[in-house]
Amino acid sequence: MDGELDLNRRAEIREILRVDAPGSPILVDLSGVMYADSTILAELLRFHKEAAEHAVPVALVIVARQFARLVQYAGLADAFSIFASVDEARENLLMGRQR
Amino acid sequence: MTNRSHLRIRRPATPNTTRAIRHVLVAFLTAIGVDEDSRDDIQTAVGEALANAAEHAYEGTEIGQIELAVEVGENSLCVDVIDEGNFIERDRRPGRGFGLTIVRAIARDVSVDRRGGTRVRMVFDTGHLPV
Repeated sequence: MDGELDLNRRAEIREILRVDAPGSPILVDLSGVMYADSTILAELLRFHKEAAEHAVPVALVIVARQFARLVQYAGLADAFSIFASVDEARENLLMGRQR
Repeated sequence: MTNRSHLRIRRPATPNTTRAIRHVLVAFLTAIGVDEDSRDDIQTAVGEALANAAEHAYEGTEIGQIELAVEVGENSLCVDVIDEGNFIERDRRPGRGFGLTIVRAIARDVSVDRRGGTRVRMVFDTGHLPV
């Protein structure tokens, strides 16, 4: 997902953020997102809960400062595993699988 | 007396429109010399108020208007998001958004006036502005 994640794109976000294979780690690459509002936060929370129910580890890649601060302002910084790059997120997910 | 800048936009309250209004706001903030970090934060807060109005103000009724009004002070910015519909705080819906929590975390002052619609007033510290 990239560009602006706002109310306009809720249906698309909802369609993309789904848990298809129980157990397989999911990397959500949001590095191309330039703007996000609380629409995406609500969808990420729902997705995170769904993933936890299926024991699926999730890593988010968030680069844009606006998006990172949005997560902080909403008090959700500790609710997600957030990384600044895809490599970092992938490494974390792989390490989790080896434990 | 100094003539300060201001911005006023009134459009139908749709998700597409709120995005366009947000873009105009960012261009305005850039033009008056608001720094990038503050622009990001102000866009975030105002974006939440606009989204809240577009999603809820005219639920179950014909879509009405949404208005953005910005008044520039020497060291602050006063932004009103106004609609003529019903105010529903997204924070109060379980599992839903965090709109007002985010707005309150960013703005110095926030007030909501529900007389004859809803006016969300946000005041932001900006530091000295050249305009």
